[in-house]
Amino acid sequence: MAINVNTVYQTVLLILNKEQRGYMTPVEFNKTGAQAQLEIFENYFDSLNQQIRIPQTDTDYADRVVGLDEKLSIFKTSGNASYQNSLFNLPSQFSGSGKQQVTTTPANTTALTLNYTINAATASQISDGVTNVFVNSILLSEFEYSISGTTLSFASQPIAGNAILVDVYPKEFYRLGSVTYTNGAYPIQELERVDKGQLYHLLGSNLTKPSTTYPIYTYEGSRIKVYPTTIVSGININYIRKPLDPVWSFTAGTGAYIYNNLTSTNFELHSADQTELILKILLYAGVVIQSPEIIQVAASQVQQEQTNQKS
Amino acid sequence: MPRPDGGLITETNRQYYAGAQQKYITDAGVGQTMTSTFDTDLEFGSSDPLNGLYGLNNFVFYTSPDALTWTELTPAATVQTATATENNAASNEVQLAAANANILVGMTIYGNGITGNPTGRKVESVDQATFIVTLDGTVTIPGAATTPVLFQFDSPFTMVGNIITIAASLLLNSYLKIQLKETPIQENHGSYEYTRLTDVIDNFLIAYVGAGKLIPSINRTDVIFHAKRGLQEFSYDTLKSIKSQELTINTSLSVIIPQDYVNYVRLSWTDAYGVQHTIFPANALTTNPYASPAQDNLGVPTQDSFDSNITATSQIEAAWASNDPRRISGAFTNQENITSDVLSPGGFYELALGQRYGLNPETSQRNGWFTINEREGTFSFSSDLANRLIALEYISDGNAYDLDARIPKMAEDALYAHISHGILASLAQTPEYIVQRYKRERSSKLRNAKIRLSNIKLDQIVQVMRGQSKWLKF
Repeated sequence: MAINVNTVYQTVLLILNKEQRGYMTPVEFNKTGAQAQLEIFENYFDSLNQQIRIPQTDTDYADRVVGLDEKLSIFKTSGNASYQNSLFNLPSQFSGSGKQQVTTTPANTTALTLNYTINAATASQISDGVTNVFVNSILLSEFEYSISGTTLSFASQPIAGNAILVDVYPKEFYRLGSVTYTNGAYPIQELERVDKGQLYHLLGSNLTKPSTTYPIYTYEGSRIKVYPTTIVSGININYIRKPLDPVWSFTAGTGAYIYNNLTSTNFELHSADQTELILKILLYAGVVIQSPEIIQVAASQVQQEQTNQKS
Repeated sequence: MPRPDGGLITETNRQYYAGAQQKYITDAGVGQTMTSTFDTDLEFGSSDPLNGLYGLNNFVFYTSPDALTWTELTPAATVQTATATENNAASNEVQLAAANANILVGMTIYGNGITGNPTGRKVESVDQATFIVTLDGTVTIPGAATTPVLFQFDSPFTMVGNIITIAASLLLNSYLKIQLKETPIQENHGSYEYTRLTDVIDNFLIAYVGAGKLIPSINRTDVIFHAKRGLQEFSYDTLKSIKSQELTINTSLSVIIPQDYVNYVRLSWTDAYGVQHTIFPANALTTNPYASPAQDNLGVPTQDSFDSNITATSQIEAAWASNDPRRISGAFTNQENITSDVLSPGGFYELALGQRYGLNPETSQRNGWFTINEREGTFSFSSDLANRLIALEYISDGNAYDLDARIPKMAEDALYAHISHGILASLAQTPEYIVQRYKRERSSKLRNAKIRLSNIKLDQIVQVMRGQSKWLKF
């Protein structure tokens, strides 16, 4: 689903170099790539807001709201909120800093073995992080494996002798979605978000005061205060995580950078956004190499694409 | 009979009629769970009948080896006896004479001399090879070298969120059973007639709120408010939500207004045959003053040391309480006994005989009178009703208790219309014609609900109409 970082970089270089306009270094590409990705990502929310107010067609693949939801679904996640000092903390993020490459035992796949133990990462780090699994330097799709705790299980027998590599990235909180409360076998209840101005009126009214059936919460200082205050556990938070920053990693070759897919990080955006992503990077590249022509062409293309998407 | 299969009925026949739910154990061991799927939520205080909170339980929990003989799961049912072969000073290890696989982690040790075990030492581990039980603290077991001890789960099961977790070890192929007590079973009977208010609120948010609908977004608390207000309004005149209490009037001639009272429907006393006789309000005859301040010689209310008026005993109430209601109704057989009342204010020589033509139906009844004493929050009755058995029928607002928060399905649509109208009427941008449309919809659906709930049955109308051929004699 992800957009290959090398494909994007090579395309950008191809367009830039076509008429010997200039060159974009990997460092410049990584910075502008992260910027372009975030720009497109943030635009999802505004587009969703616009599209949701417009009647959509029921035809397959033509519903823009569904399309945007598909793009956002990559970043939708959830986690339990921990209770501390009368407040709930947001789901814990990966405790490491940056990408963490962890090893498995054994390092290579073996015959007739589907399950491998992941070392150098805890179960909570794995569950709180984004995990990429490579076998023989090939990134596996999420359908090809599952991870429970620190056990990596392949869906089918891998070829014996292939190297296993597991990357764990931090899940960074981006936007708060719905908050739910689970208590045993009772129906899961969604909490309503209120601000402080409403809160005191709600608490003071017997008809609308929060109950365990209909709890509410306030959101301040990146923490959640749940009412009624008898609720001290069972809070689950659905949220949007931030896309991982792309990294085009390399090893130094003879006069050239050689792409290293094992240490690189792909763009996480939906592959439908590859064109827009390249155009946006080109836009920044035009600024970097001081080429007004590139800026103009890229900006025009981006504008045309957005008009097409929203009209 | 069909089993619950995705329809609105979620309980099995057994759950509904017998109030019982059963589970077959396919894996032996401790820490197993059983999830209640009753429509009624389980209430749990304690699993120990000797604990004062046990009375809060609305169910009894049983185990059985064969689903025929059931034993309630209590601490006593988990007791395992053993013999301690060691009699040392305080130690957290107890040496048993023999292995016992049923002595489990979490059990509390009891025995001679440590009976009651105020420290409540619990088993932390059991070594079945050396027969040593390690406790979470030290105990001293006095007595002979072989001292009988027993182990039990003080809390053999717990319940959170309708999930029962069993601490005790369960045998393979045994059975568990949740048996609701009588009151929750009875409260559940006939519940299919109703829709819970929580369902109404959730359904409304799903079906009436969202992008492209008349209500694009709304706070859930707004929906809750309008739903509860609607239930209140419907309770007053549409729903069959008349409640009643059977009470005895004591010598104070008053009964306390029920906790969830909103208005009365009827008060009646019941004779020896169970026939009700309506008690009438004495509004036109007397009243219960809300305040009766003590006055000085000039008629000025007097105050106490806290600057508040001193309250005196109400003379009006005292006079009414001592009144013989027959003076009002004229139900004396011997007119000469009347000395001074509303019938013959002049006394014996000015009898009422011949002074009236017919009866005043408002006062000519022998079923007694009542007033509402707002100051004391009571119904007060005339003295002829002392020691009578009465039925107090009243209406509440449907929001007093959780069980009340439900609405007859006959009026469910009317409640949706009520909520829609309430919300649309309060939204700033709603066109007036939309508000009017929903106002009419609410009105017509409420009318439909009233007709449906009035229970007019053709057979009954026919029976009543058969009386039309009677000859009336004047």
